[in-house]
Amino acid sequence: MSLRALWIISNEKGQKASIRFSKRFSTVEHRARNLAGSSYVAVPEDSDFLQLLLTELGLSNSNKSYVADRDDCLYRPRSPAVELRLNGKGTLWPVLVLSQGPLILAGLPLVDILSEPRPPLANLLSVSQGVTLLAGLQTFLLGSGVKLDSEGLASRVATLPSLLLQVCPLGTPLDTPLAGTPTASTVPTSTVAQKQPAWKTGVYRGRATVNVAVVEIVRSMQYGNQSRQDLWDVYGTVTCKCEVEGALPNVTVTLSLPPNGSPLQDILVHPCVTSLDSSILTASSVDNADGSAFSGPYKFPFSPPLEPFRLCCYTSQVPVPPILGSYQLKEEENNLRVSVSLKLHESVRNSFEYCEAHLPFFNRNQMGVVDVKVSSGQVDVSKEKNLLVWGLGQKFPKSREVTLDGKISFTGSSLGPSDPLCTGLTAYIKLYLKVPDTTLSGCCVDQHSVQVYSSAKPRIVTSRELQSKEYFIWNSTGSAPVSSGQVMM
Amino acid sequence: MASNWTERISAFCCSPSGFLSGTNPDAFLAELLRELRDDRASYGVKVLLLSPLCEYPTLLCSSECVGEETALDLMSVFTHCPPRSSQFRCHLLVALTSVLVCSSCVSNRSPASLDFIDLLLQICQDTSDLDGDGTQRCPRATACDCLREIEASCPGLLSQRLELLAGLRQQETSWLHQAYAGLQILVLRNAVYQLTKQTGAGAAHLKALLDGNTSVAWETDQDAFHMVTKDSAIQSSLILGPMGRVPTLHTGPDCKELRSVLSSLLEESYLLTPLCQAALFRRLTEVVAMVPGIPPTIFRAQLLRLLGTNEVCLLHVTLLMKCAFTDSLFSAEDEAFLLKRLVVLSQHPLLSTPEKLFYMDCILHFPENRPINCGDEALPVLLTPQLASALLPTVFNDSATLLARLHLQALVFLEEGEEEGRGLAYIYDHLTALLHIVDRGGSRDIVVTFFRAAFLFLFYFQHVEGYSARLSEQLCQLYLQHTQLAPHILNLVDKTLERLPECNWALGLLQGLQRVISTAPLGQLTLRDLSCHLKVLARVAEEGKISQCSTLGFLSAVITQSSSLLCTSGDWRLGNGVLGVCRRVLLHPSLDSLLIPLADILQHLTCYYGDTDIQDHARLYYTLLTTLSREKLSVVLAQSAAEGGGQVKKRTLSCVMAESEGLTNILTVHQTEQPVFQLTEALSGLQQEMENLQLSQDEGDKVLESYRAQFSESGFASQIKLKYHLTHTEPHDPRFEQIFSICLHFSLTDDHYEQLQDISVPCLFRQRPPPVVQLTLKPRRPYPTTIHVSAIFTSKDGLTWHTTMPDVHVEFQQAFLPLPVPLSWSRASRQDVFEGLWDEFCSEMGDCIISLFCCQLREAALKALVEKHFLPFLVSDLSQEDELRVLLFLPPRSHVLLKISSEEDATQFNMATDTRQLLPHMNSYLLTVTSSQDESVR
Repeated sequence: MSLRALWIISNEKGQKASIRFSKRFSTVEHRARNLAGSSYVAVPEDSDFLQLLLTELGLSNSNKSYVADRDDCLYRPRSPAVELRLNGKGTLWPVLVLSQGPLILAGLPLVDILSEPRPPLANLLSVSQGVTLLAGLQTFLLGSGVKLDSEGLASRVATLPSLLLQVCPLGTPLDTPLAGTPTASTVPTSTVAQKQPAWKTGVYRGRATVNVAVVEIVRSMQYGNQSRQDLWDVYGTVTCKCEVEGALPNVTVTLSLPPNGSPLQDILVHPCVTSLDSSILTASSVDNADGSAFSGPYKFPFSPPLEPFRLCCYTSQVPVPPILGSYQLKEEENNLRVSVSLKLHESVRNSFEYCEAHLPFFNRNQMGVVDVKVSSGQVDVSKEKNLLVWGLGQKFPKSREVTLDGKISFTGSSLGPSDPLCTGLTAYIKLYLKVPDTTLSGCCVDQHSVQVYSSAKPRIVTSRELQSKEYFIWNSTGSAPVSSGQVMM
Repeated sequence: MASNWTERISAFCCSPSGFLSGTNPDAFLAELLRELRDDRASYGVKVLLLSPLCEYPTLLCSSECVGEETALDLMSVFTHCPPRSSQFRCHLLVALTSVLVCSSCVSNRSPASLDFIDLLLQICQDTSDLDGDGTQRCPRATACDCLREIEASCPGLLSQRLELLAGLRQQETSWLHQAYAGLQILVLRNAVYQLTKQTGAGAAHLKALLDGNTSVAWETDQDAFHMVTKDSAIQSSLILGPMGRVPTLHTGPDCKELRSVLSSLLEESYLLTPLCQAALFRRLTEVVAMVPGIPPTIFRAQLLRLLGTNEVCLLHVTLLMKCAFTDSLFSAEDEAFLLKRLVVLSQHPLLSTPEKLFYMDCILHFPENRPINCGDEALPVLLTPQLASALLPTVFNDSATLLARLHLQALVFLEEGEEEGRGLAYIYDHLTALLHIVDRGGSRDIVVTFFRAAFLFLFYFQHVEGYSARLSEQLCQLYLQHTQLAPHILNLVDKTLERLPECNWALGLLQGLQRVISTAPLGQLTLRDLSCHLKVLARVAEEGKISQCSTLGFLSAVITQSSSLLCTSGDWRLGNGVLGVCRRVLLHPSLDSLLIPLADILQHLTCYYGDTDIQDHARLYYTLLTTLSREKLSVVLAQSAAEGGGQVKKRTLSCVMAESEGLTNILTVHQTEQPVFQLTEALSGLQQEMENLQLSQDEGDKVLESYRAQFSESGFASQIKLKYHLTHTEPHDPRFEQIFSICLHFSLTDDHYEQLQDISVPCLFRQRPPPVVQLTLKPRRPYPTTIHVSAIFTSKDGLTWHTTMPDVHVEFQQAFLPLPVPLSWSRASRQDVFEGLWDEFCSEMGDCIISLFCCQLREAALKALVEKHFLPFLVSDLSQEDELRVLLFLPPRSHVLLKISSEEDATQFNMATDTRQLLPHMNSYLLTVTSSQDESVR
């Protein structure tokens, strides 16, 4: 249940990987030595560790196409726990590795089961605890932004010693760094009758406010092909920000679906939820959907932490995708004939914050003449001349259908980007859209259904929106890559 | 100063061994402690200073006694530290815990460790600040954490404080109750474990334990207690699954007290952070597993909350509970639900990849209520292909996910015996899709992933001929398009042969490769392709079962075709490639039928190849082929292939023949796994004979001046010569019984010395006396150091090896030299030099400094000490009673002067030196020699 050591490594493109921070927990190491006896493997010094880890992750010698140590086909790195083969000094296992962007976080949990061969990961609680701590540190270091700002990172790395004193003083992880800082004023608790949760550092004072936001994400793979079924799925998150007085206040949020709505599946809840009805957990995407399944209302009683948090998340199987597209390419002498149509389903609110269709072209020269006509919106050619951006504005026309037709010649002087998937006529359109105040599953939180057990009347704000992610429409005249086998079964 | 510390501490943490080799751990520790006591240093710096003690206490406190002293020092720092600097106090507590635990003070119940535990307990109970500004909060939580760590390292230590801890937890309303809960449950768990190990322990003992009633049954004999705590089993997890055995405590159903403690912990579990909750649940699970009187159903109320959680550690601990309690807590329905849940979590779009992969691993080790197999990775019975289909791999997966999914699916279909089914077809399609990506120039990552996926597929389904034959065919086509994949393909061949020895697939693939290579149109062949082809064909020719006709046909065509640039270009590498194939064919069982085409090829090479070396080799092969009988040929060639045997001559002969392997073997420097030999210090009489010493013309009155004048000559007395024996290490390796032409290479770990020259040793035989190696060190600063040593040598079979040798540590005292003056100088002149220098140093100008070291030594002991350690450096007469004078010269031009005298109660070492940096080293040296002398005389 403890970590022997942890490392934070930066591995930015074009720069030599380096250890930004490392920490050994000597008392845990002492226990590791006692527990393992003769099979004890000491933790190597930082520079050796870095080298071994990079080889293991396939990041070393990136200019060589084949390195026996790194690329042996027999070997399968068992992420998230890899092993490092020390030169003649045994094997260091399990090294947990999380990497995101230019940052690699590694930790070495204590193995507290004496067995030969080594115990399965699933029997070591320190593994999931280590993953949790590392993921927490990762979020803390990278912040919410996708891009890394190196100054911000450096200053956050500098605070790590005092942060670790709070969350993992002696190798046993106690908490993860706070994801978001509470904005509202809080006071440290003085004598209160009720015990205060350890995940709450103070008590809020002020007017009660509860903010609940439902965000749904839709993904899709559309092939426009009889032999291959189109796929789409929807998942949603419910994020709350609660400012309520008291050490352990009670709040209940209820999600409800329209009549005939398909049930919310695969629900995962935040640990601050106090109790759950078993029927909420029954619906699952891996089951055959069964008409009798529980379809709400979904009640989540909880006691909120101070910072914003994800109350729950779910998936849903909606009968239709919000936009049905067709994409056809035809190779003509020197041109590519393009024909696209997109149709907005009638059940979806026709009011976008944005809606864009991107048509990238790979493994070709840059675009020369672009001669396309659209029935709505406008088309731009990207600066790099390998991408058409079709902006559809805030609304589809009344017919709810838009088309793009035309010819593109790839007569540019230089070669565009390459991609191993999109060769020949294999090509896709990727849709980016955001629709405020709607969800595909119909899931919503009614303001009046939010209950706060407090004396003052709370202010309650609810919102919902739909976004797309990985929304692909493949060219039906080319071969599209298989994306899921689920349909086959 | 502060920035200097920042650099030094970070240098230490980067490479502690490297850092410490340049200084002395004791000296460094002393410096750290001095700085920590210094009021002028800021707390920011002090926190930094504690990190070596927190992270590497064993390096700095090498013995229990040093640990004890360090802890006493740190505790005094703690008492002098104002309460408001609470962060620093917390860091101090952590450092103290690290030092005391790691130097075994805690496990041996040293006085300092007991004091420290009392201090921690005091801090834990100090709730006086309840209405204050909260400064005490952090040290209180840290103190609990320290106690928990001490209890974890030394189980049972706090058993008798259980009641106190339970009370503290119950009273605490601030978030600190979490720290108390973690401590209480661990102490409880360890105490119960100890009870299970005592014969006859039962409900009454348990009750006494919880009531803190130590006078009743709990006065266990200390021996038994020690025995339990020394046993590392108590530290290991008790949740081992149905096969593991858990020690039990038989209490009967009457254990109300324990039950109420557990219930209260469970009730408040919700208030803990997920990480602490998971730890709590695991410890609770262990306690309940040990006490059959408590039914596992006390966890029921928490289960639903845990099953719905998005926290990986909470779901994981639920699985561990299932593992421990099986159907006494989880019904068959629960089991089905949990498995389904794991499948859902393994592909949930909102979880991170590491979490999903971890859940997938949990599926493969699913704790079933009624497990059938207890093997390594097995599928749970309830995992149907239908359920598993949610985890089919796709080309959009990252490589780790893709391989994990592929592995899972392979197990599913293997279990189903579904060989012609759609599932397998899907997997194969998937593999093909990957292959197409590789074909279209996928990245290195995809290439490696594809070959790993191919290996997994073959490992499980090589017997399904339809697919494996198709894969083989596709790989051949892929190779033809991308010959640079040759090493990957050959690696796949080798590993399949290694793991599936009875499977013919790999041979089929090699045959296929031979076919595509030999039938591809020669016109388009580039030299790069050819080099890959030759590698593949060489591998093909190693297989006795594969006919080599088409290989020879290909070679012949390549070298004879009119447009071939090969022969005219005379590329040595490619020529070698061709010869490599020929050489293997010479060993091939079907050589008889290949005689003529092979002879033609060799003859053609002999006559027309544009490189003389290749021509010569080809001629040799040709001669061997045409003159030797099959048997002789194979014997001659086999010798070259045999590793390690034979004599040097044979080896060289075979090198000529086995142009590629043999030659590369000879040309390659091999790396030994272990050090083969080492340098051990040779005992020398008087350490050095002085060189560079001219006979003095005139001592005169100005002895000091003429002494000084000697230094004007460059290189005067600037070297230290150390003698070492070169000996074999144990265990000995028969390959290295006799070794030759050893070249020792030294690399410094700091800049205190000039770079060393390489040293050659002609030979080293195990049976003969070890050769003496003399290291000539030229100090810039005469500090202790560590020198990395490596060597290149030749073994008996003619191979060249590189080996890393154990480091050579140069101790401080090894740099001591006697006063560098001509032998003819009288004792009086030497004394004059001493006096002159002493007076000069006492002025404390520049780097000069004086110091005093005291110890208690009896006269006899002192005499023995001086005789043993200082005789060569003695300036005064040993018989002189009152004061002994010792002059240590340390190149290039440092001096340490000692006046040793016995006072009534102590021996005083008055020191004067012109290099103040030497003082800490000198101090620790004196400490070592006087303490060892002390012991030996006593």
